[in-house]
Amino acid sequence: MDSALIPKGVKRCPIWQFALGLGVVGAVLLWGVYAMILCWFKGLNQTNMNDYYGFALWIWADLAVIALGGGAFFTGLLKYVIGKDELKNIINYAVLIGFICYSSALLILAIDVGQPLRSWFIFWHANVHSMLTEVAFCLSCYFCVLTIEYIPLILENRQLDKVPFVHNLSHTMHEYMAVFAATGAFLSFFHQGSLGGVAGVLFGRPFAYREHLFIWPWTFFLFTWSAAAYGPCFTLLVTRITEKITRKQLVKDTTIQLLAKIAGWMMFTYIIAKIIDTVYWATTTAPSLGFTLKDFYSNNPVYGYWILFAEIVLCGVVPALMLITPKIRSNRLLLTLATILAVIGVSLNRWVMVLQVMAVPVMSFDIWAMYYPSWQEVATTILPVAYGIILIMISYRYLPIFPQEAELNPLEPEADMAAAAGTEETTEEVPEPGLTPAEA
Amino acid sequence: MKHSGNFGKPKRYGMVIDLDKCTGCGACMVACMAENNVPFKEDESKKLDSISWLQVYRLTNGKPYPDAEVCYLPRPCQHCAGKHEGHSPCVSVCPATATDYDQQTGIVSQIYTRCFGCRYCMGACPYHARHFNWWDPVWPKGMEKYLNPDVSARMRGIVEKCNFCFQRYQKATEKAHAEGRRDLEENEYQTACTQACPAGAIIFGDLNNPKHAVHQIAKPNLKKGGQPQNPKAFRLLEELETNTKVYYLSSKQWVQDAIHKPHLLDQKEAHH
Amino acid sequence: MKIDRRSFLAMSVGGAVGTALTPLPWKIQDDLAIWTQMWPWTPFPPDGENTYVNSVSTLCGGGCGITVRKVGERAVKIEGREDYPTNQGGICNLCASGLQMLYGPTRIPYPMKRLGERGANQWVRLSWEEAISMVAEQLGEIRQAGQPETVACLSTRPYGSMPALLKRFMTAYGSPNFMTTPSMMDAYDMTLKRMHGVDGRMGFDLENADYVLSFGSGLIEGWGNTVHMIRINSKWKDTNAVLKQIEPRLSNTAAKADQWIPILPGTEGILALGIGYVIIKESLYDYDFVNNFSAGFDEFRRAVLSGYSPGNVSKQTGVDQSTIVALAREFARARRPLALCGRGQGTVPGGFGEYVAVHALNALVGNINRPGGAWAMPRPEMDGWLEPVLDAPAEAGLAKPRLDGAGSAAFPFAGQLFNRVPVALKAGEPYPCQALLVYDANPLFSMPGSGMVREALQQIPFILSFASHMDETAMMADIILPNLSHLERWEDVPVTEGFHRPMLGLAQPVVDPQFDTLHAGDTLLQLAAALGGTVAASLPWENYEACLKEALSPRWAELEDRGYWIDENFTPDDWSLAFPTVSGKFDFAVSGADLKTLFAMTAPQGDDGSYNLKLIPYDSVRIANGAVGSPPFLIKIVSDKVLKGKTVLVEVNPETARAAGFGEGDQAVLKTPLGDAAVRVHLSDGLMPGLVAMPRGLGHTAYDRYLAQKGVNANDLIGSVEDTASGLDATWGILASLVKA
Repeated sequence: MDSALIPKGVKRCPIWQFALGLGVVGAVLLWGVYAMILCWFKGLNQTNMNDYYGFALWIWADLAVIALGGGAFFTGLLKYVIGKDELKNIINYAVLIGFICYSSALLILAIDVGQPLRSWFIFWHANVHSMLTEVAFCLSCYFCVLTIEYIPLILENRQLDKVPFVHNLSHTMHEYMAVFAATGAFLSFFHQGSLGGVAGVLFGRPFAYREHLFIWPWTFFLFTWSAAAYGPCFTLLVTRITEKITRKQLVKDTTIQLLAKIAGWMMFTYIIAKIIDTVYWATTTAPSLGFTLKDFYSNNPVYGYWILFAEIVLCGVVPALMLITPKIRSNRLLLTLATILAVIGVSLNRWVMVLQVMAVPVMSFDIWAMYYPSWQEVATTILPVAYGIILIMISYRYLPIFPQEAELNPLEPEADMAAAAGTEETTEEVPEPGLTPAEA
Repeated sequence: MKHSGNFGKPKRYGMVIDLDKCTGCGACMVACMAENNVPFKEDESKKLDSISWLQVYRLTNGKPYPDAEVCYLPRPCQHCAGKHEGHSPCVSVCPATATDYDQQTGIVSQIYTRCFGCRYCMGACPYHARHFNWWDPVWPKGMEKYLNPDVSARMRGIVEKCNFCFQRYQKATEKAHAEGRRDLEENEYQTACTQACPAGAIIFGDLNNPKHAVHQIAKPNLKKGGQPQNPKAFRLLEELETNTKVYYLSSKQWVQDAIHKPHLLDQKEAHH
Repeated sequence: MKIDRRSFLAMSVGGAVGTALTPLPWKIQDDLAIWTQMWPWTPFPPDGENTYVNSVSTLCGGGCGITVRKVGERAVKIEGREDYPTNQGGICNLCASGLQMLYGPTRIPYPMKRLGERGANQWVRLSWEEAISMVAEQLGEIRQAGQPETVACLSTRPYGSMPALLKRFMTAYGSPNFMTTPSMMDAYDMTLKRMHGVDGRMGFDLENADYVLSFGSGLIEGWGNTVHMIRINSKWKDTNAVLKQIEPRLSNTAAKADQWIPILPGTEGILALGIGYVIIKESLYDYDFVNNFSAGFDEFRRAVLSGYSPGNVSKQTGVDQSTIVALAREFARARRPLALCGRGQGTVPGGFGEYVAVHALNALVGNINRPGGAWAMPRPEMDGWLEPVLDAPAEAGLAKPRLDGAGSAAFPFAGQLFNRVPVALKAGEPYPCQALLVYDANPLFSMPGSGMVREALQQIPFILSFASHMDETAMMADIILPNLSHLERWEDVPVTEGFHRPMLGLAQPVVDPQFDTLHAGDTLLQLAAALGGTVAASLPWENYEACLKEALSPRWAELEDRGYWIDENFTPDDWSLAFPTVSGKFDFAVSGADLKTLFAMTAPQGDDGSYNLKLIPYDSVRIANGAVGSPPFLIKIVSDKVLKGKTVLVEVNPETARAAGFGEGDQAVLKTPLGDAAVRVHLSDGLMPGLVAMPRGLGHTAYDRYLAQKGVNANDLIGSVEDTASGLDATWGILASLVKA
């Protein structure tokens, strides 16, 4: 019944199946919305945060989705500015994932602050010295850019495209997309960096504090770098998951390999920088503040050296080497494994820079603060995941996200008819709730 | 909160707390809560969501019976000046300029109506001097009568902290202005905790003023970020260059060691 | 106009864009932000004229001078009065929380009568006229039946016009049974009577002492006058005076002391005798005092030398011989040494033998009535009143023995022994109690063996409470005639509690009465008037204020003007005049007591071999444990190592805990012969092995949700143990065991 809206030359599952899928994910979404409403109306006492743990699951999720959404700006930069035209085949999806990640981040922030109705004070009474102000400005601006980047995609819907104005608008927007992509990359550079700066400037927290280059702590550059390196991995991973769920190839291997190779080298260079940073911090910065590395990793039940190993070696060096090795990279399974490790790695890094920072005692007579999230926190963190899946489902169904899909999956007339008749064998688009892309 | 305006020479209000005298009675905490309309709720035993601007920590020397020793350490906001006057860990990070370093007094204050509750300042503060209003403050019927009109009751969802009873400074300066004076006497402006302390363990005044007891006892070296020149005196986390305005005195070596050496202490005893 | 899908869409989009371009969304956003800045459910304290009213806080025994800041009619802050001689600006946490008592939800708003079961907390409101006539009728009937002695009255404080008025009422009514809640001051009074021959109170010139031996006294935790004592402690730091703290637990006092000497609980008196042994044996005592101004030294010497050698004492107390010897030498050689006792806050007196043993040390070094020493002080008297008028029934009633046995042949030196009342009532000796008047006391909560107290109260058919707050005892009452709160009433507050100057403070109303309540003094005068006859004649004042003025007439002007009266120049009598005993000298032989029995340690209750630990209660300065319950601010500052949620943590030495299989925070059941309680374990290196320490003042069943049902009342688990020599409550703990929950 919605066949008029479905892009030409591709097939989609029957509407009932689509609706069922939407319903299942929608239920999860509603659960998250319920928790969100609880947080708004009853306050943040619904969480397990406390005065020692003022930043917790949400802020981690925020930093993580922004890092993972980094695929959008970096792929955009590569395609429109550097001119890697091959990436046009994945840029739409990268933009969509970026849009989801950034809108989720904004939503999470709206729940996270104690007085959401006043959150615009961050613009109105802006403190230009605060990294968070920089984050807020760049994040909002970049979200606008992502929206602008996403809009032409919506306008390419079969029905909308029929309207001459819309068609022209979309065409014109495409013309100027390089400008937006460049703007986006510029903004991203700053907000990814300032998110890194959020932790790095905390000179009261030796675990987070890093030396500065001009006004920016090293974490500023490390965050931007890691987002550029790990973000595309997430794009690749979600693409792979989408392919698995739809049971068809959506992007050609050449595109995948190119992006994987670039991500691999970015990661490789990043992880070298990260290792240098870690060594310098452990041997110079922290001791100058009266701390030894051991202070950060002992005397508590959770935080040990294993975190350093997991983040830097297992989920840093290993996937980087895998991706820069053509033989491994060209193996689909190993490629997927590498992207999974990378996604874990960057998420772990953001976890360390938020939650471990809060946990480590600074005053010698203080305690390690341990924390686990309340169900409301978990639900509101899963909420954007459900929202992302829904947006992907709808976008995939009605918009030409993957330019190569029709080419890679030529329609047979009878299959088309079968699809229209709604037989199950050929319909496989609905993602199972358990198989959600690991965005957060 | 209003700015203090231009009033006399710039001050650096600070404290000296004598740990040898502090008995851990907690009168300072109560006086602070009473002065500053700090709310309370049914269960205050979860100390990490219990608002108390001034927290008295219980330090132990970590030795087994019968060599155990205990020292109490009251911790108000340390009113950090940072490496350059005003670069406090918290003030520098607040995105909405809701916390403020008053150059005239050196006091770090919080603007409750501007704070939107991002809690970045709490993460930035190594002393845990900042508290979030996780709950709406509720006073049992009738008890709202004792609320101090000079201090607004805070709403849910914002951060609050010790401000050295800034409202008292404002009152004192208003009075002095009315009387045509440019400066305050030492005893004209004292915090609620200083006033209440039965042990006289808290001394408050202008660290810049050589006539004030705090200056005479701590002997801050203004060229070296206010480092104390009294060998008995120390500040918390001196190495971080937070340049705090709260000095502590202790004649016990183990206390001085405990402040400086992380994890000398047993975790289980450390808190409150 | 036909509206198709397209034009509808266009209109919607156009409308949205158009609205966004108007100031409306921005205005709404701004208004919402302003709304969050003044939420109607967040109180907005109104401003008004600022005034300060001086008064005296009566929440704790210290009686500190306070100044209350008022804004309009509201009292907003209680601060210490800087020119008040005892506290000099300081204030304790309880008195600083006083406004939470004044405006708190547990105030009793009007007179009321019990409805339903006792303790069910169901009441019906009475008018004051009804209430007073009901009580007068009840008391009148008892008096008419010729049994006025069966009416008893309990007050917290022994001194001041209110206790005096209550006592006067009881006397005129015909009952000898006026009592106060027991405290260490009872034991010190007895010490003074039997060693100095003085009927007075003990004072200590603490600020001039330079070496203090504290036998378990929580000197900076509520012993004596809390704020004054903390000030003294600071002064000791400045003057390098030495404090040695002797107790089983590393209390705050022990932590602040120059040395903590852990000792097996209940053996403090034995250690004092051991120290005395060394002083005598090494002839370190003050020859002048001992030879010229004391009697009975030979008996004392014999008793001490016969059983208290350092070796013996070390075995009994767990204190090293070398420590005993060192303490003795330091004490004797100090310029102004002073030995003190009264465990914790002194809320339980302890055995009389302990006081004799400790006070004898002061006498051995001659630090009696000297600077830095122990002083015999006159009692504060109500010198402005005439004698009460007694009729025949009153004379007959007063001739009867007291319920508590004080002043009887068994306990001739005791002033009052309320701790004995539960036992006496259970035994029905010497007669049953038909009515009890309770003023400012909460014995059901604050006395050891609260189970026995409850049984005793259940046996009394009529209980009248003057409580201003709904405490446990008030909940057991039949009628409550609520008193004004402490900031609404006049009251004279003699400063006692070991203070070494005669001093009197005046509490005055800070705010108008908030409820339909009446000063207990006025209530009492109205009751007397309703009873008529000699009772009315003995309490003839129109109102309490008049009665107070008359009582304080010689000093009234000064009191009203300055808020207090003090005799700064008071000096105790010289040794030659100081001891109105038979010999005219200080009596080491304690008026002929059998010293051996006197010095014997009081055994704890329930020694049936099934308990392997000892439970000792401790007094925390952050928990009110007397007649007043902890206000919310106080409970808020209680450590999470003492109270977590609704569960109390008991301190246990890590070694002891490990042996019993407990780790930090583990749940456990604490068993004593009196009952079981659910607790958590807190490992403390500041406690002797083999002990369990529990704070007093938790486990309230009355009061509000901030206080009630939190923790365990130590008095439910620890019974009252009578000192056979004196009748005093000698409780120091009880046998106990900790088992897995």
